[in-house]
Amino acid sequence: MNPARENILGRVRAALRVEGKAPTAPSSAAVFPPVTDLETRFREEFIALKGEIITDLPAFLDGFAKIASAVPEVTGSADVRQADLGVTGCDCLLARTGSIAVCTRSAGGRALSVLPPVHLVIACRSQLVPDLTAALAFWHQRYDRRWPSNLSVITGPSRTGDIEKILVMGAHGPKRLVVYFAS
Amino acid sequence: MNTAQQFSHAAAAKAADLRHRAIIQKNISSYDSGVARGKDKFADWQNARSRVAAIKWDTINHLDRYLEEFERNVLANGGHVHWAEDAEQARQIVLTLARQHGVRKVVKAKSMTTEEIHLNPALEAAGIQPVETDLGEYICQLRGEPPYHIVTPVMHLSKADIGKLFHERFGTPPDAPAEELTMVARRQLRQDFLTADMGITGANFLIADTGMIALTTNEGNGRLSVSLPRIHVVIAGIEKLIPRLSDLGLFWPVLCTSGTGQALTSYSTLVGGPRRDGEPDGPAEFHVILLDNGRTKLLANPEMRDVLHCIRCGACLNTCPVYKTIGGHTYATTYQGPIGSVLTPRLRGAEEWSHLSFASSLCGSCTDVCPVRIDLHHHLLHNRRDAIAGKLDHPLQRLAFKLWLWVLQSPARYVCAGKLARLGMRLGLGNSFAKPWTATRDLPEPPRQSFRDWWRHQPSPMSTDSGPKTQDSGLPPHHP
Repeated sequence: MNPARENILGRVRAALRVEGKAPTAPSSAAVFPPVTDLETRFREEFIALKGEIITDLPAFLDGFAKIASAVPEVTGSADVRQADLGVTGCDCLLARTGSIAVCTRSAGGRALSVLPPVHLVIACRSQLVPDLTAALAFWHQRYDRRWPSNLSVITGPSRTGDIEKILVMGAHGPKRLVVYFAS
Repeated sequence: MNTAQQFSHAAAAKAADLRHRAIIQKNISSYDSGVARGKDKFADWQNARSRVAAIKWDTINHLDRYLEEFERNVLANGGHVHWAEDAEQARQIVLTLARQHGVRKVVKAKSMTTEEIHLNPALEAAGIQPVETDLGEYICQLRGEPPYHIVTPVMHLSKADIGKLFHERFGTPPDAPAEELTMVARRQLRQDFLTADMGITGANFLIADTGMIALTTNEGNGRLSVSLPRIHVVIAGIEKLIPRLSDLGLFWPVLCTSGTGQALTSYSTLVGGPRRDGEPDGPAEFHVILLDNGRTKLLANPEMRDVLHCIRCGACLNTCPVYKTIGGHTYATTYQGPIGSVLTPRLRGAEEWSHLSFASSLCGSCTDVCPVRIDLHHHLLHNRRDAIAGKLDHPLQRLAFKLWLWVLQSPARYVCAGKLARLGMRLGLGNSFAKPWTATRDLPEPPRQSFRDWWRHQPSPMSTDSGPKTQDSGLPPHHP
């Protein structure tokens, strides 16, 4: 048995025998301003992040030859490694930040929502929540004790600013992130 | 040359490098405006800081409990937990896992902890190819140099520098735009993602109540690193814990705002174990290595304990006048800037690294911006105090301060010292005594008299005419 675990925990416990001075307690004031109109805010934030919202699904799908899909609304059986479009559902849409919460269950595993160059999310308006805190609470309520192995909050298409802080889309993940609201 | 002398030489050279300064200013001014916009999205940024600081304080001051809870939950999720007391143990755990699984290629998402334990050279020596997949880290790897900044690894390079590098390595036009350079890296690294056996990541947070790790990236390399390879290994310091998944509702926005000014980066990802039954993909194995490597020494010092609150956002580097002047590589440490100057003497030894705590203006800007309210500039003073107590300062400096104390203890000696100093300056001795200072600055003209002499010759305030003034402008009263 490797003694490292007991050694480290032993050092931690010994260290904590001397109490640290607690910081002044934070106030109860709200940290974020409230979000009111969820759909309008989501649209504004999502578009500002260079996300796209489409209304004509068949016309959009016509542009792709190899579609991999995890949702019944779109047929597509291409291998995720070859696909030029990955289609998934989602868990929530976060209004404050224009984000999309997905997990292995709602998004057909880990790779489908990040490997293909374009990611299409089929969403419902009922999935709109105010913010990250609400999305985390939703996950807790839905998956507690049966957690998917991977969950992500996606906020815009893949991007990098590593070269002189110049914004470039599609560093490794999807260059385009598209939402379609199903009725 | 010892480490302190190397630091001094490198700092002098960088401080005079105007091209370096222009690149850093461009980069950091873009960061500054982004962060200002990001903070505006909070109703109360200061209270957000106080809240995350309070959560971190609770975590660090009950670290044993949260570590055990995290371990229990990772195991319940089907993952493995390893404990490493130092860098060597951590490297051996990774190498053993790699050998067991016949790993030949590793894709790495950006991780300062793997830099701290010098993982890449160990992998290479074992015949395993490590591939850095963050664009900035990839450029560092191509150049064979360490990251310049804990968040922005190639902040010191211009687009032209990177264009030249890619021209030499991949034959792109030397003046290729940033987008083309990024697409070249994307194509190269896509092949690596598809053929790697192991993904190695750090963790921005370890979440005790669900046994998950949280990753923050913009490029998507983190998500690909945990999706495609057969085995996922996480290396994280024991201080990265937070108690609850719900805490991320605050920690993620605070980290992203301080790190880049974004409300959230493109991908805020949670990994809680290997691929589950019924999931179509994901690694078959999930390992977390919990690293001490000196962190329990900081924990044992209640005065310094809050240094373990650090979430590695890089804000203190970006605001630091010393960092902006001497640049990240001058520190020659894994962690640069104020947090590096506080941490390194504690983690790697005060004898070799104390000079970093003295290379500071003590302006306190780092403390002002720290999102988890680490008292950084006072910790620089604590490091200095302990270095002096440990007699790590120069004997001549020690003598000079003793002399100075002796002078200050007597008004007569003080007056005499002032006269001698003014005389010395008039004789031009300042340039030889204060050479490191005067090499790049003009010494001011010495005053003719001391302040005390000047004051003595002012009319007494009691005897001046203190009649009513017509205006309080500080100018002589106006007489028409």
